[in-house]
Amino acid sequence: MTILALYSNKGGVGKTAAAVNLAYLAAQSGLMTLICDLDPQSSATFYFRVKPKLKPKARGLVRGPKPIDRSIKGTDYENLDLLPADFTHRNLDITFNRQKSRKQRLKKVLKPFRNEYDLIILDSPPTINIMAENIFNAADHLLVPLIPSTLSIRTHAQLLSFLKKNKYQSDGVYSFFSFVDGRKKLHRELATWARGNFTGVLRSVIPYLSHVEQMGIYREPVPAFAPLSPASKAYQALWEEIQQEILNERK
Amino acid sequence: MEPILHVRLPDEYKPGQVEDLLAGKFAFLVESPIVEKWTFYDTFDWRLFNRSLVLRHAGQELFLEPLSGGESLNGLAGTSSPVFAWDLPENSLRQRLEPIIKVRALLPLADLHIRSRTYRILNKDEKTVARLVTTEARTLDEGSEFVLATYLSLRPVRGYPKYSRKLAKRLGRVGTKTPMLEDLYFSALERTGQNPGSYSGKLNLKLKAKKRSDSSTKVILRYLFEIMKANEAGIKADIDTEYLHDYRIAIRRTRSALSQIRNVFPADVTEHFKQSFRALGQRTNTLRDLDVYLLSEDEFQARLPEAMREDIVPLFDYLRLLRKRSLEEVLEGLSSSEYARALNEWEEFLYKPVPKKPGAANATMPTVELARKRIYKRYRRVLRDGDYILTHTQDELLHALRIECKKLRYLMEFFASLFPRKKMGRLIKQLKKLQDNLGDFNDLSVQQEYLMRMAEELPIDDPRSRKALVATGYLVENLGYRQKEVKANFADTFTEFASPANQKSFRQLFAQKRKAGR
Repeated sequence: MTILALYSNKGGVGKTAAAVNLAYLAAQSGLMTLICDLDPQSSATFYFRVKPKLKPKARGLVRGPKPIDRSIKGTDYENLDLLPADFTHRNLDITFNRQKSRKQRLKKVLKPFRNEYDLIILDSPPTINIMAENIFNAADHLLVPLIPSTLSIRTHAQLLSFLKKNKYQSDGVYSFFSFVDGRKKLHRELATWARGNFTGVLRSVIPYLSHVEQMGIYREPVPAFAPLSPASKAYQALWEEIQQEILNERK
Repeated sequence: MEPILHVRLPDEYKPGQVEDLLAGKFAFLVESPIVEKWTFYDTFDWRLFNRSLVLRHAGQELFLEPLSGGESLNGLAGTSSPVFAWDLPENSLRQRLEPIIKVRALLPLADLHIRSRTYRILNKDEKTVARLVTTEARTLDEGSEFVLATYLSLRPVRGYPKYSRKLAKRLGRVGTKTPMLEDLYFSALERTGQNPGSYSGKLNLKLKAKKRSDSSTKVILRYLFEIMKANEAGIKADIDTEYLHDYRIAIRRTRSALSQIRNVFPADVTEHFKQSFRALGQRTNTLRDLDVYLLSEDEFQARLPEAMREDIVPLFDYLRLLRKRSLEEVLEGLSSSEYARALNEWEEFLYKPVPKKPGAANATMPTVELARKRIYKRYRRVLRDGDYILTHTQDELLHALRIECKKLRYLMEFFASLFPRKKMGRLIKQLKKLQDNLGDFNDLSVQQEYLMRMAEELPIDDPRSRKALVATGYLVENLGYRQKEVKANFADTFTEFASPANQKSFRQLFAQKRKAGR
């Protein structure tokens, strides 16, 4: 069992798209997969046509594993389940803060699912507060989408130094470039620079493509509605690299 | 999620009717059908069925499933159809399967063409909330396809229990609830005229205590005769080694019954058939020996140091060659007119009613009485001989005791149904432990002599032969050590078998009860 968190403290970098498409590809390859939508904006939940609401009294992440179990929904795809987002998660930071072992809550809540699923993908909100630290503690690996801009690269450097300073394992951090336009010289240069200066930068890149944007119209993962599109192939390549570089390494 | 409900649809059901069932009540989407070939497997003696298991080949995968449903194991099937456990890729399925089927071949029982179609039930957001799957199974029947059965399964989607509940209610009305796999398995086997569990190499006899001994003996012998006949085809097709093994055991038991169940048939008849079966048994000795050596190839290699393991291969190649020749001889024998005549004669005798006034002394004795007498006599003989060996350990005596034990064991198995099952089972188990010890001792001594002799037959001019000879020498020495260990264990094993508690059990079950006043 592996927990993989799509994480970035910047918004709009393609986290949710990657989480949804990777979860779909993982399930297709035969892994029992759970995608957890931790973002109160509930985009992943929306993509899977599930209503963004947990069962009444199932404030799962707060109360513990039992109620969460009731909130999990099967998706339209074999082997793929979803823990829907809930707008009440907007206050999770505050709630966690009031609880015991506040940085370990998420890890504890997910523990019972380690046996049930082969892969758990966390789609996280863009924060670097208690919620983020819960994610760092729960996840075996972080996967950070980088957009090829100087600010994004700078943010990534900040993240790495934060992890190091707070004694989180930084060798579990991987990143990939998203929203890449291969025609732009700056994009190519930044990517080269990042590969030279950060460890764990994956070779696969997700280009800036319209099919990714259309996910909101179809409400399906790209490989499900446009399996032969370049976008689908890009995610497929990324998934294969993740299997080789990240998942296999754990065995 | 796993299906919660299987319904077998009436035979006249048409696939389109599922859509009628849903129309107006549920929005749905039909996926394109999936066509698969399924094959069920089991061994000749139904080892999987006897554990309520079925091995199913579907697509690229094998599934080992409980017949009545439940947790299944699956694994990649490998490139060709499986025949033996060792042909399968190393995985948990093989680990589970291997101890059950051991060296037996997996035989395809039935081929099915499965066509399944999924109806995705949608809610207002066009989200899938349940799946209905129709599964149509066809068999190939004399060239044309025959629809064996059609099932409708409900597969809930996690988190949407309401829809599944509603659907389950509707489904109950269109067909009968049926566990699909089990139903399909039995239907397919029935269609192809197979009866699961119909063959077993074990003696599953049910004798009557008061029946005349000669007719009971014929019941035993007929049973053994049927086992012999059942295995002939498998020996001829050389499917696995156990057909010959079961066939030989049936012959050995027949010989044992003829000589141990004394004076139930005329002496000349008994003598004639004893001779005849001795000859039949001898014909297959060499082939069985070679089978045993070749089956133990890995085990023998493992007894050698790593560097020598390759060296011994020429010896086994030679044995493989000998086996080929030996098989030809056996097959020739099985299809000879002489063999057919011997079996016909035997069959005629077996199915002839017993004479009203037989000449043989024990013919009309109640079966249970003769059984007690014979078993107790053999048992006391084993005790006496074993006791003597404890103080005079000689290899020949151990060999003789092994034969005595075998006679006792066969007698106990012939008549097991006449005695309390639990007690009998326990005593046979005790006896088996002693037999294993004696059998190992004997095998090891035969093996040492045989392997050395075979290695010396390898061509001298081949440089590989010299290496093989050295490796065989090493192996034989190793087997010698093992034999000493086994011999050292005899005293304890025998003492346990001859324990006062066991002696009492034997006495209670088998000693003649003296009637008061006699």
